[in-house]
Amino acid sequence: MSAHSLSANNQAAPAAAIEVSGLRKNFGKTTALAGLDLRVERGTVAGFLGPNGSGKSTTIRILLGLLRPDGGRASLLGGDPWRDAVELHRRIAYVPGDVSLWPNLTGGQAIDILARLRGGVDTAKRNSLLERFELDPSKKARSYSKGNRQKVALVAGLASDAELLILDEPTSGLDPLMEQVFTECIREVKAEGRSVLLSSHIFAEVEKLCDTVTIIREGRTVEAGRLDDLRHLHRTTVSVVLDRDASVLASVPGINDLVAQGSKATFTVGATELGGVLAALSAYAPHTLVSSPPSLEDLFLRHYGGTAANETEGAAAATQIAGAR
Amino acid sequence: MSTATLDTGGRHSGGQAAAAALPLSGTMTGFWLSVRFILRRNWLRLLIWAAVLAIMIPVVYDSQQQAFPTQADRDAYAGVANTPAVAAMTGLPYAAGSLGGILVIKIWMTLAVAIGFAVIFLVTRNGRADEEAGRTELLRSSALGRHAYSTANYVVSGALGLVTGILISLLCLSVNLPVAGSLVMGASIAGTALAFVGIAAVCGQFSSTSRGANSLGVMAMALFYFIRAGADLQSDGVDPSALSWFSPIGWAQNMRPFGQDTWWPLLPLLALGVGGCALALRMETGRDLGMGLLPDRAGPARATAFLAEPVGLVLRLQRGSLIGWFAGAAVAGVFFGGVAQAMTNVLDPSNPFAKSFVGSSNSMLDGVLGIFVLFNGLLAGAFAVQCMAGARSEEAAGRLESQLAGALSRYKWLGAQVLVAAAGSGLMLLLGGYLTGVSSNGAATGGELAAASLAYWPAVLLMVGVMLCLHGFLPRLSISLTWAVYGISVMVAMFGGLFSLSEKVIKSTPFGAVPRMPADDFALTPLVVLSVLAVVLAALGIWRFRNRDIVAE
Repeated sequence: MSAHSLSANNQAAPAAAIEVSGLRKNFGKTTALAGLDLRVERGTVAGFLGPNGSGKSTTIRILLGLLRPDGGRASLLGGDPWRDAVELHRRIAYVPGDVSLWPNLTGGQAIDILARLRGGVDTAKRNSLLERFELDPSKKARSYSKGNRQKVALVAGLASDAELLILDEPTSGLDPLMEQVFTECIREVKAEGRSVLLSSHIFAEVEKLCDTVTIIREGRTVEAGRLDDLRHLHRTTVSVVLDRDASVLASVPGINDLVAQGSKATFTVGATELGGVLAALSAYAPHTLVSSPPSLEDLFLRHYGGTAANETEGAAAATQIAGAR
Repeated sequence: MSTATLDTGGRHSGGQAAAAALPLSGTMTGFWLSVRFILRRNWLRLLIWAAVLAIMIPVVYDSQQQAFPTQADRDAYAGVANTPAVAAMTGLPYAAGSLGGILVIKIWMTLAVAIGFAVIFLVTRNGRADEEAGRTELLRSSALGRHAYSTANYVVSGALGLVTGILISLLCLSVNLPVAGSLVMGASIAGTALAFVGIAAVCGQFSSTSRGANSLGVMAMALFYFIRAGADLQSDGVDPSALSWFSPIGWAQNMRPFGQDTWWPLLPLLALGVGGCALALRMETGRDLGMGLLPDRAGPARATAFLAEPVGLVLRLQRGSLIGWFAGAAVAGVFFGGVAQAMTNVLDPSNPFAKSFVGSSNSMLDGVLGIFVLFNGLLAGAFAVQCMAGARSEEAAGRLESQLAGALSRYKWLGAQVLVAAAGSGLMLLLGGYLTGVSSNGAATGGELAAASLAYWPAVLLMVGVMLCLHGFLPRLSISLTWAVYGISVMVAMFGGLFSLSEKVIKSTPFGAVPRMPADDFALTPLVVLSVLAVVLAALGIWRFRNRDIVAE
């Protein structure tokens, strides 16, 4: 919908970190990507959201030159991800969501191998990351848990000075403390002016870290833009307790989805009508008023929820999808 | 990863005291469910193995009936059948004057080796491979006894042997072969299968990877085959030598279908099968799920610069397998040399027919040395295929993805794999040939046989080329298809003549095309043809690999 809304403000800058348009990829008869658009500006952290099987990992693999697209354009740091794979990979770091390591090598060896493959190892940085992530590098990889394998890939990726970090659900399997460490690390990366593509299912993480968000579904981009702009597109949920029967609110212009029960009411308001609605509300002397800002989760669920016109039904289905993960 | 292990001695697990008192109680829960599950996953594979092996009986019988239509023909054959080549490859021809005996010469060893490989691969596939992939963990977390799945695996694999044996007996009977011999024929093949189920079961406990388990099984098979080859070469006339009792294949051979029809060697075969499975189950009790017998120790926290090089990484990942294969080649080489030396005393040079049977050799000894050199070549070929299969495994497990996400080109990565396979197999050929020569005590020199072995390098490289080509175009099937190509090439090179395949056909297969020095003279043309084919297939495969998607399992 608004996938192109970003391209206006960045003409002078060098090529975007990632620029993908109309990307298509089929596996046999299955369509994995059906015209996907994605743009990551330099120096920004971009969230990449979508349900399982929506094509996030396929997109990332195409960006890494591991898969060859069937159509559309993809460019990475201004280069062709397929043709210039080796040169580009010196400038990027990749952390997969499902880390597979050599079972009979140690975590430390795996970190060094992966880091050396892309250029070299910054030993000081590596050691400080090992400490922050509390990872024992002398253990054989086969004895690592999922979270520890994930840490190996994270340390190898974060110890680099890559211009662009491509992270595919990088915190899966990490405990909340380690997620916190990860958040700090990404903030540092951002402070250094480097770019990040963060594919994730954790809304809190994306809301904390990301400047822009791209939501995809069934291989297509359905929503993209600055996180703040996107929030404005959506409605604030308000709960109030009035001094009288709340059904009077039905007549106030701008109030939608009203559920009134006695003096209590819950409804949604669009950003532009919020002022008028608040003014109208004050006439009914509200005892309490709770307003919840539109969250990324709402935005996400709206798109996950299928094409159903009925929003509550859609949201219910979406919750199921999210819950089934 | 660890499950609460219930010790057979019943030392702990207080809450399960009752179960501890009866070591097996509850550990077999879900056995039949597991059997059904394994059958469901493998029925086609099982069907193909049993059908293909059994159907060889009428096919080969028919061809032999045409080759030796009258008793006079068979008697004439019996006079010349006992050559070192036949003894080394297929065993002593103890009843070459009867159609049943000829059938044994032509097909028995092929069936025994093939059913052995079938059960080794099957036991690993449903045992260690599942455990390595974490599927066993999922199964065991349900109401499934600790030994139920493993036992079901052994039982299904053993059943494949039994069914194949029964089919073989029935088909022998159907062509009107003697009843007693037909039954012993099937029983000896089934017995071999059961023995190798036991061997494979133990291999699956020792190694913590499926590749390691298969390698151990294949090495055991090669070892036992070579022991019996040596034994049959050593023997005087057609009486089994004492050495043949050191190999389960030898036990099965000594049942002598259509000859003496001896049943009792079936007992040690059964005992090895049952004992091996029991030992494997005991080992399974004593270790944690997912682990091998040896516990993991801490390792270096840093990787050396060498390890981070693609070639260094391949060498490190293949370290265990390289050591195993080179040790195997060295042992085989010394063993072959010893046998060759021993044979100089046994051979009877007055038999004019025997000479012609070893090919165009100047002497029988050269013919036998030629076979040993062929064995060296086949070993190196198996090493090369296994080494290249490691490349596909890296991709299948998803580890290639992380490597290519670094600044590593696909050419460089694949090149490292090819380099290790090619250089490793070349060195193996030289080592095996040299050791055969120097330990033969004058039958041949080390240099001579090292050169003769190296002549197989182009054939080995062709196997690498086949793997590369399939790896490029059919990555998911590449490992099994390459092993199939290798297996067929080996069968034709070793047993083609016995199947009455023409010289021309044998010469047009990879290992058959190589001049069998020192018996044959050196010929450059076939080696050049093999090399060119290898390079073309490799180039095609590498080109395709550069242009295809990276596909994990």
